Amino acid sequence: MNAISFQKVSKIYRRSHLGKTTETVGLDGLELDIPEGEVFGLLGLNGSGKTTAIKLLMGLHLPTKGEVETLGRRAPDVEVLARIGYAPEAAYLNKTLTGRENLRLFAALSRIPRGNLEKRVEEMLDRVGLAHAADKRLSEYSKGMLQRASLAQALVHDPELVILDEPVTGLDPLAIKEVRTLILWLKSKGRTVLFSSHDISEVERVCDRIGILSGGRLVKLMSQNEWRGKSDVIETAFATAVKRTDGVGPIRME
Amino acid sequence: MQTISAVFTYTFKEHVRHKAWLSSALFGFILLGGALVISALGADERPRLMLDLGLAGIEAITLVSIVFLTVNLILQEIESRAIYLILTHPVRRSDYLLGRFLGTLAAAALGMAIMAALHLVLLGLYGWWEPGRYLAALLCTLGKAGVMGSLALLLSLALTSEAAAMAFSVFFWMLGHFSSEMRFLADRSGSAFIKTAIVAFSHAAPDFAHFNYRDFWHATAPGAQWLMWAGVYAVAYAGACLALSVQLFEQKEF
Amino acid sequence: MKYRALAVAAVLFAVSLAAGTAMRALYEPRFPPLAELQGGAFAFQDASLAAAGFRAPAADLAWIQLLQYAAGSLPEYVDAPGKGYEHLAKLSLRVARLDPSFNRAVLFGAGILAWFHGVDRPDEAAELLRDGMRMSPDQKLYPLYIAALAYKKKGDSDRMIALLESSFDQPETPSTMKAILANLRQSRGELKEALVLWIRILENERDASEHGRARAKIVELRAALRGRQGKKQVDGRKHQ
Repeated sequence: MNAISFQKVSKIYRRSHLGKTTETVGLDGLELDIPEGEVFGLLGLNGSGKTTAIKLLMGLHLPTKGEVETLGRRAPDVEVLARIGYAPEAAYLNKTLTGRENLRLFAALSRIPRGNLEKRVEEMLDRVGLAHAADKRLSEYSKGMLQRASLAQALVHDPELVILDEPVTGLDPLAIKEVRTLILWLKSKGRTVLFSSHDISEVERVCDRIGILSGGRLVKLMSQNEWRGKSDVIETAFATAVKRTDGVGPIRME
Repeated sequence: MQTISAVFTYTFKEHVRHKAWLSSALFGFILLGGALVISALGADERPRLMLDLGLAGIEAITLVSIVFLTVNLILQEIESRAIYLILTHPVRRSDYLLGRFLGTLAAAALGMAIMAALHLVLLGLYGWWEPGRYLAALLCTLGKAGVMGSLALLLSLALTSEAAAMAFSVFFWMLGHFSSEMRFLADRSGSAFIKTAIVAFSHAAPDFAHFNYRDFWHATAPGAQWLMWAGVYAVAYAGACLALSVQLFEQKEF
Repeated sequence: MKYRALAVAAVLFAVSLAAGTAMRALYEPRFPPLAELQGGAFAFQDASLAAAGFRAPAADLAWIQLLQYAAGSLPEYVDAPGKGYEHLAKLSLRVARLDPSFNRAVLFGAGILAWFHGVDRPDEAAELLRDGMRMSPDQKLYPLYIAALAYKKKGDSDRMIALLESSFDQPETPSTMKAILANLRQSRGELKEALVLWIRILENERDASEHGRARAKIVELRAALRGRQGKKQVDGRKHQ
């Protein structure tokens, strides 16, 4: 069974200003199925449609055309969100709360029964290494600590599907290694993981399959046996498949 | 219910920990001190002046706070993107909006209760002690705050601009006190069309003039049955505004 | 399904309309329309406070300004030479138009215009009382004061004073009016009655603004009464 299914999905952003409407293509006819238990990496440049695809999965956007399914249900479906964990590219957390209060909030929102909630919160704080700072306000957290708090909220309800938007962007090498370990741990537990990234080497190490997005279209789909044991396969595929859509030319320093 | 309660709790904590809330409570104390000083000039009418000016100060602070807080309530969460994490959990948008609104109203009510307790002590020292009527006046102010807050929330979602929403909220606040005047105008009007339009407008705008219990209790104060209908009015009007807000919010993409 | 919230809003709005109608049927506040608020130096202050829903506090501030005027310290309203209290009626009415239940302002103004030493403008006082009565028809002291004014015009001071004194302990009676009554008694040589009135003023907490004067008057009247008694005794001995 597929954990995620994009069926000819298009997303067009319309913006009106002074009576003039401009349209931007976020996704263009995306067709992609991700089976349960797979670790899938979405690669692409800025503006290629990675975050749009994730927002469609999470119900933050509605498709202009086509259908999106998560865990067998058509998105957006509030009920199915209880089985999905999501961490955005930055820790968009309410900084007035403490680490513990923040996790308690998301545990309650994820419908963890009250009797089990405190135990689960403590366990998760311990797992992400924030137990010592649990009663500090998030405004006092470092960037790395915030990223951990964000991961903790995504995992506190033990989701079947985990979606991570650029989880290693801006992290130090040690933290990147920890995220890699986390993804592999989720895989070992049979969870489905979808994550987006610019970092080809990271994708190479943990993914079963990857998809390369460019200009809102899926331009390349590769599975592990295509790159395992070979060097620069993904990088070469990436360089040939993607086109810059942001209007910026290449850097020439010859 | 668990979801509403979780959103309510974090909203309440967020407000109470905010510097703006503390400053408004402090400003409220300054206004009460002002009422104490000014009432000394009122000769025989000192208790009346202390009562009126104190309650007016409490109401002014509560209304300004609730308008400021509710106008920013959702827009700021959208801007900080904290809303991403909330809505990617199994949270119905109506539950989120209701929890946010009730949490804000509770924070405003707490500020009001603290100021009222101090005010009542001061009044007691000057020989005025009618806690029943005082509570009725406070409940009317809270009803007004509820209606005003829900209206400001609706305006913030409809206009998506904090400044415009605040300006329109103040306009409706003023208009709400002209409900009797508008009906008076309608009675005087010769044209059936204008009469109908004014009556319709006077009913559509919140009827704040009838909530000024603290303004008209020096004559004959209305009884318990009136208070009950006033409560029904406030809950139903605020509920209608919230339902309209939900309608707008459910169509929003982030 | 898409418009469920809209349908809920419509139902709740209908409920609010019904509740509003029920609420207004049970009680309608009796405030004069905003158009009837007075113009003049404080028009903006009054209109803005009333429009923001603060009529009673607006009336309270107007009351303080009325007292300041009566004490001669309101720069916006200064009397022309020889025209004492020329703005008093207007400023008293201003308070009542903001909040008709502020009866004390009208009684205070009318009391000074009619009975304060050296003012004597009963017609103006009667006009002010009639305006007050129009806005607050249930207030019993307005017709009582109008009746007292009629006795004054007829020159029947005994019945006038008796009528005014019958309202002495009413909570609406201004302390200034009580002091005027005590002084009226004194001016008629009724020192014992005047002393009793000053004592009643001193015993009433609401009349705190007149307590200082009451203490001085009590000392003065007691001395005058002792003097009078002493004179009587001397005269009695002379007759014997």
